Amino acid sequence: MTAEELRESGLLELYVSGSLSAEEKREVEEHLREHPELIREVEEIETSIISLAESLSPALPALIWSSIVEHIGGIRTLPKEDTSTNWGAITGWAAAILCIAGIFWMLNKNNSLRDSLQKSVTETTVLQEEKDAIQSDLVEAEEVLSIIRSKDFREVTLPGNQAVAPSAYAKVYFNKKDKKAYIDATGLPTPPKGKVYQVWSLTMEPLTPISMGLLDNLETSPQKLYEFEELPETEAFGITLEPEGGSETPTLEQLYTLGQVQP
Amino acid sequence: MTQPNELIQQFQAGDQKSFSRLYTMYSEALFGIIYSVVHEETTSEEVLQDTFIKIWDNRESYDIDKGRFFTWMLNIARNTAIDKTRSKDYKNSRKNLHPENFVDIFETTDSLNRKTNTIGIKKFIDVLKPVCKKLIDLLIFKGFTHKDAAKEMDIPLGTLKTKNRACLKELRTVVLR
Repeated sequence: MTAEELRESGLLELYVSGSLSAEEKREVEEHLREHPELIREVEEIETSIISLAESLSPALPALIWSSIVEHIGGIRTLPKEDTSTNWGAITGWAAAILCIAGIFWMLNKNNSLRDSLQKSVTETTVLQEEKDAIQSDLVEAEEVLSIIRSKDFREVTLPGNQAVAPSAYAKVYFNKKDKKAYIDATGLPTPPKGKVYQVWSLTMEPLTPISMGLLDNLETSPQKLYEFEELPETEAFGITLEPEGGSETPTLEQLYTLGQVQP
Repeated sequence: MTQPNELIQQFQAGDQKSFSRLYTMYSEALFGIIYSVVHEETTSEEVLQDTFIKIWDNRESYDIDKGRFFTWMLNIARNTAIDKTRSKDYKNSRKNLHPENFVDIFETTDSLNRKTNTIGIKKFIDVLKPVCKKLIDLLIFKGFTHKDAAKEMDIPLGTLKTKNRACLKELRTVVLR
């Protein structure tokens, strides 16, 4: 069959509308393979039939496509009639939830343990620092004690001035040879804010005060023991209360303690 | 229209996206065929849904080398629609109605598709010879084989072929103009 004969035979129309027997259909297929230019003819017949059919179609509800998708398993919904309890699944889920809760609990526990460990480490560090400080204080105290106990040092007690501070006292340990002195201020009351104790060395005739220095930070000093060097020739020690930074000359109205050195 | 073979192969491999595109391309034509057989919109919608579910379920049975994809779907749509008209429920509901064919659709339905050249096609059908109307109805919409159609119309097979070709050629001039 030539291409033209096939075109005019009317078989292509019947081929598209599906009206041929299986054998006739196969024959048309073979002829189409021989005359591929006739595919276009087939396509035109098909297009015209599709257009005719479409022109007869009422409006197509969009819902149809979604119910097709539902049917072919695109969207699965749980079957409603299946209400029997699935204990296996419930147990599984319960186990999973417990497991997750457990993991969270342990994570939480772990975190708080980590926090307390951190805290302990910090506390240990602080204690270690405190211990070191005490150790060094102790060493210092022992050093001072050994100095004071040595035969080169003399001790003078400075009693409180009856007019200003009758219960106050101070002790002076001094070494004339080395021109060193230690003042134990344990017996002095805490100075008011903005004031500071000043230590004076006195010679009597004529009365000449020379400032030895200040008892700084008395309230926080652990030993309340002050070291002074380059001690001048002295006949008496006095401690007065002075404005912060000290004064050029002693304020005698605020003389707390005074004690003479026995010759 | 060139057959979208690549799309068809993806659909046959189970790709729902391709199936969705094929639905967009062919659903109105198949709905028109089904409606012309069933003549009732709600039932036609059910039949169209069943048709596409069958198309999906049997997607592997179509062979690109053997026949047009449209013809394959057309057969499924026609058979599903005809099966429906043979069901008891359908027969009971349409007991008092005359048998109808596709030509009546233009007279009885308001909500027809306006996408295609409906007015042109209506004019085409209006001037269509009665023998063409009968041939198109039997071969395209009712799914008769050409032998059964020739027997039904009592005309020789050769005459049926040439007449059918002439009728569809006229349709082509309207559609492809």
